[in-house]
Amino acid sequence: MQLFDVVFYVFALITILSGCVVVFSKNIIYAAFSLLFTFFGVAALYVLLHADFLAVTQILIYVGGILVLLLFGVMLTNNVISVEMKTGTIQAIPALIIVAIVAGTLAGLSYSTWKGVAVPAPGGPQTTTGTLGQMLMTSYVIPFEIASVVLLVALIGAAMTARRHRNS
Amino acid sequence: MSDHLLNDLSLFAPETAITLTLVAAILADLIFRRTPLVVAALVLAGFVVTGLLLLGQTGVNASIFTGMIAVDSFAVFFKTIVVLAGILVVVFSMESGELNSPGRKLGEYYALLCAAALGMMLMAGASNLLMMYIAIELSSLSSYLLSGYTREAPDSSEASLKYLIYGAVSSGLMLYGISLMYGLSGSLDLRAINRALPQVLSGGGAASFTLLIAGVLALAGFGYKISAVPFHFWTPDVYEGAPITITAFLSVASKAGGFAMMIRFFKVTFIDAGAVALPAGTWATLQGFHWVDLVAILAVLSMTIGNLVAVWQNNLKRLLAYSSIAHAGYMLTGVVVLSNQGLAAIMVYFGVYLFMNLGAFYCVMLIADKTGSEDIDEYKGIGGRSPFLAVALAVFLVSLTGLPPTAGFIGKLYLFAALINSGWTWLAIVAALNSVIALYYYVRVFRNMFLRTEEPSSPGITLSWLQNAALVVLLVPTLLLGLYFTPLVQLAQASVRLFGTP
Amino acid sequence: MITDFGRVLIFLIVGVVFVAGGLIVAWLLRPNRPYPSKLATYECGEVPVGDTRVRFNVRFYVVALIFLIFDVEVVFLFPWAVVYKNLGWFAFIEMLVFLGMLAVGYAYVWRKGDLDWDKPAPKVPRYEKGIGVQETRMTEEEIAV
Repeated sequence: MQLFDVVFYVFALITILSGCVVVFSKNIIYAAFSLLFTFFGVAALYVLLHADFLAVTQILIYVGGILVLLLFGVMLTNNVISVEMKTGTIQAIPALIIVAIVAGTLAGLSYSTWKGVAVPAPGGPQTTTGTLGQMLMTSYVIPFEIASVVLLVALIGAAMTARRHRNS
Repeated sequence: MSDHLLNDLSLFAPETAITLTLVAAILADLIFRRTPLVVAALVLAGFVVTGLLLLGQTGVNASIFTGMIAVDSFAVFFKTIVVLAGILVVVFSMESGELNSPGRKLGEYYALLCAAALGMMLMAGASNLLMMYIAIELSSLSSYLLSGYTREAPDSSEASLKYLIYGAVSSGLMLYGISLMYGLSGSLDLRAINRALPQVLSGGGAASFTLLIAGVLALAGFGYKISAVPFHFWTPDVYEGAPITITAFLSVASKAGGFAMMIRFFKVTFIDAGAVALPAGTWATLQGFHWVDLVAILAVLSMTIGNLVAVWQNNLKRLLAYSSIAHAGYMLTGVVVLSNQGLAAIMVYFGVYLFMNLGAFYCVMLIADKTGSEDIDEYKGIGGRSPFLAVALAVFLVSLTGLPPTAGFIGKLYLFAALINSGWTWLAIVAALNSVIALYYYVRVFRNMFLRTEEPSSPGITLSWLQNAALVVLLVPTLLLGLYFTPLVQLAQASVRLFGTP
Repeated sequence: MITDFGRVLIFLIVGVVFVAGGLIVAWLLRPNRPYPSKLATYECGEVPVGDTRVRFNVRFYVVALIFLIFDVEVVFLFPWAVVYKNLGWFAFIEMLVFLGMLAVGYAYVWRKGDLDWDKPAPKVPRYEKGIGVQETRMTEEEIAV
């Protein structure tokens, strides 16, 4: 086993374990903080897949932005800390059937596409930022510009919705 | 390169116009705070200009911005539907008592309407999976905000939240489908995927299984947009809770964008370019990819469940929501026939549906503004209180049922003809039976309006000249297209051309 | 040969060891003699009042939301900056359009007052003749502001 594999398994373990805490924790604060480790773990996995820009984006946006927002959201809510979250299971049998179908499909998919997965070569391109910039500015310029409209709508919507809650 | 770009930009003019309208609406809202009508007038003008620019694109068949967006007669047709719906909804919004209550700012409302329309227009033209996804997100994001715009109404926030949650799940599913497609074919461009697929499918059962899953997952995204069963759960609550103007816009424009994108996705990606010995105007899907049966099942489910549940509704807005699910089912039958005739039938249906559905919602809005209720029981005696309004609503509902001599009949006629021509007779029979169920619940409304006596104290409903004019504008096509439908049919038959298909 | 991300990994490991190691060593060495004042929350020497978890002002949330949008925008600037030299004016105009859109959003939130930090008006204790000082107590939300 090489160093690469060790690093992969360590980060995969961190991601999965902290993800489990997010799902199963009864305290929403613990769950939110555990999400931090999940995001970091995923970022590390991106690095191992040679997606460096994606990894930095993950840390910048998910850890630096979305997680902070999530914590604010939790702390904004009255009494959310003392209230125990409902994490019970309802309708276990239909849920189990659906989970079995989805899991089976996913397993089938990963099994069938197993051989097609390209393992990132160690000597491959070390940075993707330049390539991404080139693509964004040339062939993907329209999605790039439309993304700014999406962001504008998101900005207006966020300000509008939050303002309403304040006034009422 | 710059010549190329300038040419692309000139073909992108309608979208640019609506984007500029969006920006201008936001800025105007900030500058003219005291006079809200400025923004409305500006947006109306923007939509009209966009519509005029679209008219200039008839007959174009091109792909712009390195294959991101196709500008073909098919896209232009659906974009025109979106823009017409936008114009009418802006007019409705200026008249709506629900929206124009004192103290409410409508600046964001009109701006978001532009953004939603831009998203739907892009959905009609997108020919790259990434572009499709961004277009869906833009239109969805604006729609969530618009459906929660009237915050005092208790259902409005609920509608917005439900819409958001369902939307997030279905766009997540679709994104997974897109990633599988990319993994299989190595491209995001629909035509490139189409070229890569025969080789992928020759890889054996595993590959075609993966492709099927990818197709089903993508279908979840489209099904959500057109509110087809089983992706329809959000529809009744959102249609009931959102402002009526937005409900009307979603029921027509959002559906148009969704259908255009779905048809383009399936037709460009899964068509078998090498198929031989086919009758003119028909096409075949790739071997070993049975999505047609899947779409047929969706169509039957949407029609039947939509119509059966509508029977039990007492809120007219909710009833129209279920009826719009059923209409999505009817239109889906046009997809399964795999021929230009089916495509033209869908487009004829949309041309008709635009007027009759917007008209029905407009009548509901006018009545709700006056009586404060959308309950069918409250419609007793409307026929006596406002004969013109009641007759107009009756005409729109008859047209939605699909009875002659209204336009709805023509829409259904062309769909059924396409179905029978291609051997899907059982589907045509199911659709016809469903129309009978639809008649039953629409008749309930007629009976309340005309045959039930009104309470003596209820005052008459008077409409302003603008409201009357808007009703006439919607009524005339609904009746005229039922009698003189050749231009619409010719337009639809001329608009079946998709870029990149034979 | 150590790649750039290898260095990041070494930093991560050193950081984890440094913090966790310090805590573990302290835990092993320190004497354990608790008493109530020692276990109480430290608030600059004051006796703690009320619960630690008070409700946050909704302002923080609005600012965080707006920050998030501009955060995403900044992420797009990095790949642009890398290739800007190769593409020149073309890329410059593209980014100008992109930033222009966001500038419209910025103007919107500014003008609509979403960036103002409006504090609630302070409640001045009112004196009434003959009755004396009427007690005014601040609510939890006001303290949170």
